[in-house]
Amino acid sequence: MSKLSTSGLTKAFSGLVAVNAVSFAMEEGEILGIIGPNGAGKTTFIHLVSGILMPTSGSVTFKGQDITYAPAHKRSRLGIARTYQLIHPLENLKVIENVMIGAVFSRNRSLKEARRESMEICAELELDRLDRDTTQLSILEIKKMEIARALANEPEVLFLDEVMAGLNSDETKQMIAMIQRIARERRLAVGVVEHVMGVIRELTQRVIVLEAGELIAEGPYETVSKNPRVIEAYLGGAA
Amino acid sequence: MKLKGSYLAAAAATAVVVAFPAFLGAYPLAVARSIMTYMALAISWDMLLRSGQISFGIAGLFGLGSYASALAVLRGGMDPFTSILFASAFAAVMSMLLGLAILRLRAMYFSITTLALMEIFKIVIHNLHDFSGGPEGVVLPEPIFGGSAPALFWLCMAGLFMTIGVSWYFEKSKMHLALTAIRNDETSARSSGVDIFKYLLIAFVITSTLQGMMGAIQVQSYGFTTPDTAFDANFTLLPLAMALLGGIHSTIGPMAGAVLLGVASEWLKLKIPYGHLIVYGFIIILVILFMPQGLVGLARKTIRNGRTGVRHE
Repeated sequence: MSKLSTSGLTKAFSGLVAVNAVSFAMEEGEILGIIGPNGAGKTTFIHLVSGILMPTSGSVTFKGQDITYAPAHKRSRLGIARTYQLIHPLENLKVIENVMIGAVFSRNRSLKEARRESMEICAELELDRLDRDTTQLSILEIKKMEIARALANEPEVLFLDEVMAGLNSDETKQMIAMIQRIARERRLAVGVVEHVMGVIRELTQRVIVLEAGELIAEGPYETVSKNPRVIEAYLGGAA
Repeated sequence: MKLKGSYLAAAAATAVVVAFPAFLGAYPLAVARSIMTYMALAISWDMLLRSGQISFGIAGLFGLGSYASALAVLRGGMDPFTSILFASAFAAVMSMLLGLAILRLRAMYFSITTLALMEIFKIVIHNLHDFSGGPEGVVLPEPIFGGSAPALFWLCMAGLFMTIGVSWYFEKSKMHLALTAIRNDETSARSSGVDIFKYLLIAFVITSTLQGMMGAIQVQSYGFTTPDTAFDANFTLLPLAMALLGGIHSTIGPMAGAVLLGVASEWLKLKIPYGHLIVYGFIIILVILFMPQGLVGLARKTIRNGRTGVRHE
């Protein structure tokens, strides 16, 4: 059974169909790339699977359970975690507390247990000085903090929305290695939205390509990148 | 060490306050009661503010508690002390029902709705003439504890200490994480499993209960009230000004603000009987413009700068 799947998932914003009848499935331990040109509906798609938006039609299934209309906080408890394209630090909480909320509210841990678990996760991600304010963090550290917060949910499925954006090439390499290690050690299904194709090639085993809300191709990056429809979507149709 | 020091200071301050009736006369005790009442309201207002929700309905719940308690005694034959518990429970139930409806609102929509609710309560009490006594208000057979000044002081103090205790719990428990996360970023909060509506409802019901309880204590202490007294806009405006001046998002800030403004207001009332509210308006404006973190924020910044030897501004 797939960890997470959608069937005919559709979201229309008063006429504009942002996600159009997308069906896909994610397996345990798999790193899946979600690619497509700007405005293809990648982020909307993640919003629909994580419960931030509710779909117009179609369904979302997590380990055989229908969660199409489950609220975001319930999905987080079931085991679906995510980060955001735009960073979302909680600026009035310390770094450690930013991470802890995942453990406290998704896993019902006591503050003490949550703190201990969160410190372990941060150590794993090489994020230190955890009693800092989030305003003192570099962009790489904020990204790590947000991944740590998602991991504190103890997810089975993790979506990373443009987690490499704003990182330099060394940091990107470090992040790729980190995501691969996390996915392997925790047997996670990871969905990665990314614009840099080099990252997708290195990181993912399989990609799905969205264009104007529709799923137009699926398969390993090497195959998909030679698909004429995909090339056309990225470069624009020959006039 | 530092923690131990602050506990000691708190214990010493508590002891001094408990002993007030031993060395203060009836008038200073009444002033102290008024300040403690405003302090409890300021803290309770701040507790909800920690979630980002700005309530202008403090006076509404305060008045509701006053009337629930007074009418329970007058119409239900309840004894005064039980009526305070009853009024608190009544405020809890009412705020739960209202909260289910209005906590979907955010920012100024929530604020304006709470302000309107306060007026609605007042109008209802005004017009339920036969039951509520109408605009002339209600007079109780006698104040609670026979009107003994020390007893009234300790009753009000108990209400305040309960409020401080709950607020302290809010700061130290997972309520702190939940409310701050909701205030900073609801989307992040949801993704981390925070049931936003549940925590807003808990905070709204608890703070409303405390406000209703203080209203009940007030009416039982004075032995009478009218709609214009019980729902006086001062019960919204003053706590707000106190919390802002002292420093929001903390327990100690509203406490400091309440002492300062409470003492100042007694003095201002004598000097400018009909214009003293203007001064509060100015204080709110000045604080928001020049000292958004209040006195406590200013003190923290000064201490931090002193420690690191760096000036941040």
